[in-house]
Amino acid sequence: MSNVLEVFARPEPPPAKQEMGFFTDTSLCIGCKACEVACKQWNQLPADGLEWTGHSYDNTVMLSDTTWRHVAFVEQFDSKGAGRWLMMSDVCKHCRQAPCQEACPTGSIIYNEFGNVYVQQDICNGCGYCVAACPFGVLDRNEEDGRAHKCTLCYDRQKDDMEPACAKACPTDSILFGPISEMKQHAEKRVEQLHARGETDAYIYGAERAGEYSELNSIFLLKDKPQAYNLPEAPRRPAAHMKKSYAFSFGAAIFLGAMSALLLSGDE
Amino acid sequence: MAESPTTTYYDIPLLKRPLWRWEIAWYFFLEGISSGTYLLGVIAELLDRERNQELVQAARYASIAAILPCPPLLIADLGRPERFAHMLRVFKPSSPMNFGAWALTAYSGPVALLAGSQMAADKSRLLPSQVRSVLKHVPERLTGVAGVPAALAMMAYPGVLLSTTSIPVWSRTRVLGALFACSSFSAAAAVLSFVLHYRDADDRLLRKLRKVELLASGAEGVALAGYLLTSGGGAKPLISGRYAKHVFIGAVVGGILLPALIGGKGKRRGLFAAALTIAGSFALKWAVVHAGRDSADDAAGSHEAALPNESATGWKSKYRVSGT
Repeated sequence: MSNVLEVFARPEPPPAKQEMGFFTDTSLCIGCKACEVACKQWNQLPADGLEWTGHSYDNTVMLSDTTWRHVAFVEQFDSKGAGRWLMMSDVCKHCRQAPCQEACPTGSIIYNEFGNVYVQQDICNGCGYCVAACPFGVLDRNEEDGRAHKCTLCYDRQKDDMEPACAKACPTDSILFGPISEMKQHAEKRVEQLHARGETDAYIYGAERAGEYSELNSIFLLKDKPQAYNLPEAPRRPAAHMKKSYAFSFGAAIFLGAMSALLLSGDE
Repeated sequence: MAESPTTTYYDIPLLKRPLWRWEIAWYFFLEGISSGTYLLGVIAELLDRERNQELVQAARYASIAAILPCPPLLIADLGRPERFAHMLRVFKPSSPMNFGAWALTAYSGPVALLAGSQMAADKSRLLPSQVRSVLKHVPERLTGVAGVPAALAMMAYPGVLLSTTSIPVWSRTRVLGALFACSSFSAAAAVLSFVLHYRDADDRLLRKLRKVELLASGAEGVALAGYLLTSGGGAKPLISGRYAKHVFIGAVVGGILLPALIGGKGKRRGLFAAALTIAGSFALKWAVVHAGRDSADDAAGSHEAALPNESATGWKSKYRVSGT
């Protein structure tokens, strides 16, 4: 019984700390998947099975409830064999205003003291709303334990002043971790550096607000359109038009109620 | 129309499939009938309790009968059903699901009290006589009116819940909430019409109710057209996908057009028309809920629905200027 009531208690949250985040520089990624392995190992996530997709070296396909880092392999070659590889280690975007957090009806999904989006597993009841809300397709419900899972940004490691397992394991520093302000400065510099070298297709994904969508605390340096990496070019914030939707639907219900009153009261 | 994306990533879906299945389609259907019949019952009672006696009675029983399966359906849908009460751990209007959980909680009291009061008045044997004697003292009009805001919320929130996601077929429009509300209302009016036709109710009352049915069906048709038109490419799973037949044959022809043509001319036709409207509303909600899965599976469609527009600008533009 005490367990049942415990979740209704609202203890004082820990004091806010510096906002931390990832900068994933895809121009440095060599597709070694050390991040995937380190993530699985640290977070004790099960393997995804040894299944070959057949289309590339990508065999985990997408982020999921048991895959919190996913390396995408984009192969852009023409018929003569000329072209390039693009590799990107994808992860939860830790949006500053996260659709999953806004949707979560139980308050399970929170922003923790490091400004990261975190699913409290003792609260989540597996309603599935965050799964449909995320514009990046990050969250999914685990069918064995019935709860939603995603990258925790190694909350447990951060509490002990350690960097996340994926960043620790990355051999090329394609995955950097630190205060998000520093990550953004670093990303700007890196883009300038690449542009100076003639790689003018490099740009940063997620460093500032993009219209209705908030900035991300997990930013990326990309070298092609976001779609090429299976990222949305301009994600929408689901709640942006919620009030308008409510206005229309309450309006319809009230209109029909009022008209029914008129029709039912008439004496013919 | 913005440029369409040149490539996707091996056609792997951008979005995750919504997990909601038949439980939620049934829930939206039943809770819509419950809240709609509740509202019509309260309206009829406030207008003229005596003349609308049969309508009020049918509405009270229909609203409780339709809401009773709802909590089990919602609980069964959860990944962790034993944690259903966590829904009420917080009050969080930014989440339509949390809002809906509170609306359902607030709605359950008045709907149960009115049904109980009706059972007491009808001397129902389902209730022990002591309970009946207590329920006789329920202030019916006050209780009825007190439940109206919650009933309106129950009509209004389901479509908004689906709209407040990233699934293109639900989220690219602002009128899905209104569509579900209209569909709920027309199904509710049809349920009452069915019961009153079956019980050979007063003709004058049936004719009035027929007008309400036509109004609600008409509104449902307009809202459906508005929904499909404002959804753009997002509506593809409903227009050309496997759920197109549910929408066009089920909801439009079966649920709206046929009942308008055949109803209002005698008991059998009235019963048939009402049954068709109810089935049409179910087909619509079934299709919309399930189309979310097809919509999420469509990689190119999801990327197209996430192209930049005025309010969602995306991040590439800044570097396009200095870039190629």
